[in-house]
Amino acid sequence: MSVLEVRNLTIRFGGLTAIDDLSLRVDEWEIVGLMGPNGAGKTTAFNCITGFYKAGAGHVYYRGDDVTALPPHRKAALGIGRTFQNVGMVKSETVLENLLTAQHTKTGYGPLRALVGAGAVRRREKELAAHADVILELLGLTQFRDRPLGSLSYGTLKLLELGCALASDPDLLLLDEPSSGMGPEEAHELGDRLLALRHELGLTMLLIEHHVPLVAAVCDYVYVLNFGRLLAEGAPDDVRNHPEVVAAYLGGEAPEALAVTEEEAS
Amino acid sequence: MTTQTQLLRFDPQAARRRASVTGWLVRAVFLLPVLALVLWVPHHSDDWTNDAVFAAIYAMVGLSMNVLVGYTGQISLGQQAFLGLGALTAANVVHTGYNAPDPFTFALGMVAAVGVAAGAALLLGAIALRIRGLYLALVTLVFGSVTADAVFTISSLNGHDAGVSAYRPTAFQSDYGYYLFALAMVAVCVYVDVCVRRSKVGRGLIALRDNELVASAFGINVLGYKLLGFVLSGAMAGLAGGVFAFWSQEFSDKDFTAAAGFNKALIFVVMVVVGGLGNRTGVIAAAAFFALVDPLLAGLAHHTGWLSFYTDHKQYISNLIGAGLLLQTVIFNPGGLGQVLRPFTRWFAGHPLSFHDEHGDAAAAALAGGSNVRA
Repeated sequence: MSVLEVRNLTIRFGGLTAIDDLSLRVDEWEIVGLMGPNGAGKTTAFNCITGFYKAGAGHVYYRGDDVTALPPHRKAALGIGRTFQNVGMVKSETVLENLLTAQHTKTGYGPLRALVGAGAVRRREKELAAHADVILELLGLTQFRDRPLGSLSYGTLKLLELGCALASDPDLLLLDEPSSGMGPEEAHELGDRLLALRHELGLTMLLIEHHVPLVAAVCDYVYVLNFGRLLAEGAPDDVRNHPEVVAAYLGGEAPEALAVTEEEAS
Repeated sequence: MTTQTQLLRFDPQAARRRASVTGWLVRAVFLLPVLALVLWVPHHSDDWTNDAVFAAIYAMVGLSMNVLVGYTGQISLGQQAFLGLGALTAANVVHTGYNAPDPFTFALGMVAAVGVAAGAALLLGAIALRIRGLYLALVTLVFGSVTADAVFTISSLNGHDAGVSAYRPTAFQSDYGYYLFALAMVAVCVYVDVCVRRSKVGRGLIALRDNELVASAFGINVLGYKLLGFVLSGAMAGLAGGVFAFWSQEFSDKDFTAAAGFNKALIFVVMVVVGGLGNRTGVIAAAAFFALVDPLLAGLAHHTGWLSFYTDHKQYISNLIGAGLLLQTVIFNPGGLGQVLRPFTRWFAGHPLSFHDEHGDAAAAALAGGSNVRA
């Protein structure tokens, strides 16, 4: 059974069809890439899968269950973690507090018990903090533990955001441009990290990514979107040389564009 | 990454280091003047007790505003309605004519005050769920004035315009005794506030204040938590209303309708901003200040022979002070009074005395919208 399956998904904003009949699947332990030029509808697809947008037509299945209509917080509770294109965290809080907030669905106590300050809540909070420390250790961010987000660099924030997504022990991770704002070296490191995370935590991932070497290094399968439609799919190397994909990225007629890249390569 | 490490001056171990026994003793000594101010000074005269009870009631309203405006990030220009609803409910539940109520009826009145105000807040929250900014401000403003003018003027609820008596139980008959009860109720609000801030409830509210999309991606039920913020805030204001009713020993709709009510609503907003959004100590201090500024100035005017001038222009002077402090806060000190007090509150909590506080500064800057973190 696939972890995530999207069937015939269509989303319209007024007259604009942002996603047109998109179908994709992500299997257990797979890292799947979602590529495409700006405005292709990648983030829209993410927002629909995670429940921020309502699907006009089509279905989203998570481990066989139809989760199309669930609100975002219910999907997060199911184990679908996500990151945002621009850093999505609680900006007025510290690193530690963000990691605690990210464990919201794992607290195991209700708001009422929290309000009367039950002893169980305090014990649980200590465990949550310990888990946050483990995540910081894992990502090498321990030194930033008590710092406010405002004082961190963009690359560190992106990494921390990944940490926040990991803090809730997700089963499926949707990463929206995890390497944005990183140099080639950092992106390479990120690739190794994603592979290690899959190995250690048994994660399944769907990622939107522009950085082609990163996609080639980590992805098992790639879907390419253009103008809301699925343009190509397959193994990263096959997709990279797909004439229509090259055309979509570089514009113009496919063969010419291909010729240009070949010239550049030689 | 390497530059980050080199620039790093922060030592988490140092921040978590708590004071020694001597350190705690020094802090206890410095706490004495504060305790004297809170417990001993109000004992001095009936007038001072009266002022102190108002400070306590304002502190509760301040904490209620802090939950809604500070943590949840929702504006309320109708908080006086919850205060009034609490007072009205308490007075009508206890309504015993000229006899003191038994402790059970009194407790019932307080609980009902909290319940009714919380219920009204739930209603307002449900209306306000999907609106924000200017429209939310307008809705709460209208809610406040409509509740006051429509509910509080119902003749059978306000003692046929003559007020509903709400005598205190014998245990709190003396003014100072009642002041201690009011302080205990402030302590209850502070306790709840601490519990909120140290659990997923406070983190959930703050997350949705910062960014609703991120909050829901973290698994926070944004609509539910927003409602929870309204209900908590309404409950605290209702408690303050109950305390107010038994202090003045009657409920009178004149305290909450028309200009008197609107003036209260404005002061409540101003005091939470001046105190520092989301900062417990600052909000309590600012609330006490706004409760005490009038009697203090009147006392000053009395001693300097300006009393008649002051009483003639009282309204302008206190409004001017409020407006001045608000401007000062918004422009120069977005963290509010709480930010100014933070080194001392941290010191009292056992941290080393330090005037450089990165977290506080950054949080204040983020609240003011000056953060470089995008979301």
